Amino acid sequence: MNWRRLNNVLHRDLGYLAAGLTLVYAISGVALNHREDWNPSWKLQVETRTFAPVPVSDRDTMTAALVERLALPGPPKSSFRSAPHLVELFYERWSVKADATAGTATIEKPRGRFALREMNFLHLNEPKGLWTWAADVYAVILGFLAISGLFVLKGKNGLSGRGKWLAGLGVVLPILALFFLLWRPGDSGPRGEGEGRGGGRHRGDVRPEAGTAR
Amino acid sequence: MKHPLSTTIAVLAFATIAAAPAFAATRYGKGVSEATPVKLSELMAKPDDYVGKVVKVEGLITEVCPKRGCWINVAGDKEFQTIKVKVEDGVIVFPLTDKGKKVVAEGTFKKMELTKEQAIARAEHEAEEKGTKCDASKITGPQTVYQIMGVGAVVE
Repeated sequence: MNWRRLNNVLHRDLGYLAAGLTLVYAISGVALNHREDWNPSWKLQVETRTFAPVPVSDRDTMTAALVERLALPGPPKSSFRSAPHLVELFYERWSVKADATAGTATIEKPRGRFALREMNFLHLNEPKGLWTWAADVYAVILGFLAISGLFVLKGKNGLSGRGKWLAGLGVVLPILALFFLLWRPGDSGPRGEGEGRGGGRHRGDVRPEAGTAR
Repeated sequence: MKHPLSTTIAVLAFATIAAAPAFAATRYGKGVSEATPVKLSELMAKPDDYVGKVVKVEGLITEVCPKRGCWINVAGDKEFQTIKVKVEDGVIVFPLTDKGKKVVAEGTFKKMELTKEQAIARAEHEAEEKGTKCDASKITGPQTVYQIMGVGAVVE
């Protein structure tokens, strides 16, 4: 078997192997790219309820009263007050935020987005451990596919023909993007993360963001 | 002898299954050290003593960044007190279901002096994240705010 035949066989079989995970990373990548606009993994179901106001007292008494008036399924796992009249009750994977004196409550139930939650879980390497190695192997396979793909064909449609122009464009485009995003006239060096024209930092990071000391 | 490709697939499948999330405590980022946690009430009583230092706190997660999971609010040993633990976007992502769970978090304690305009901008940004309305009229002057720049956490 000559080298091109071996290259093509490996490119074909590893391509089949990588197809599933490539789709996972591609779909998740688009979802994660737009994190500024939505939570790509979770959606929040919010239900608003009203109830007869509960007088401010100690947290346990108020919690018991809220459980009864909102007809909640038993005592919460934990609770918290951010102010004397604002009580939060935490259940397994859902919570209640109540204004005891106003008699209003919101019930929040986070729900994982179908398939996206799982894809993002893998893409962001949340499992860590062995998945880190699996993702590394996948990355190496992708690298191989990129290089082996250059040599699948020969002739006018191969790397020596149109391939060199398209492959060259694929290298030049990200370099041009980097130039426009990271450099400005008068710069002495590359700009830091998020400082370029299109810097993608969390909007909250460009201004001080902190929890108020209450 | 098995085909090498079959072996590769079997190894990857095993890695996927073995990497499935455990139902015990979840470790985020670098996790936490063996250091003794600081009580939140003590941290908030003498915040300037801790500015710039690495602190470890434990408490209840009362809020999770609804958009990106890039911060949590942690309530400590006293009522009405919380501290925000801000983590690097994408490096640590707290799921919304962590709300109400116990957490131990570690990071550098930071103080920020905000002008009135900065405080309003921050409040507006938070309101946007939460999908609520910001009442800027409640901010009448400069604010001093504290937060922990978290590098690791363990959620039970």
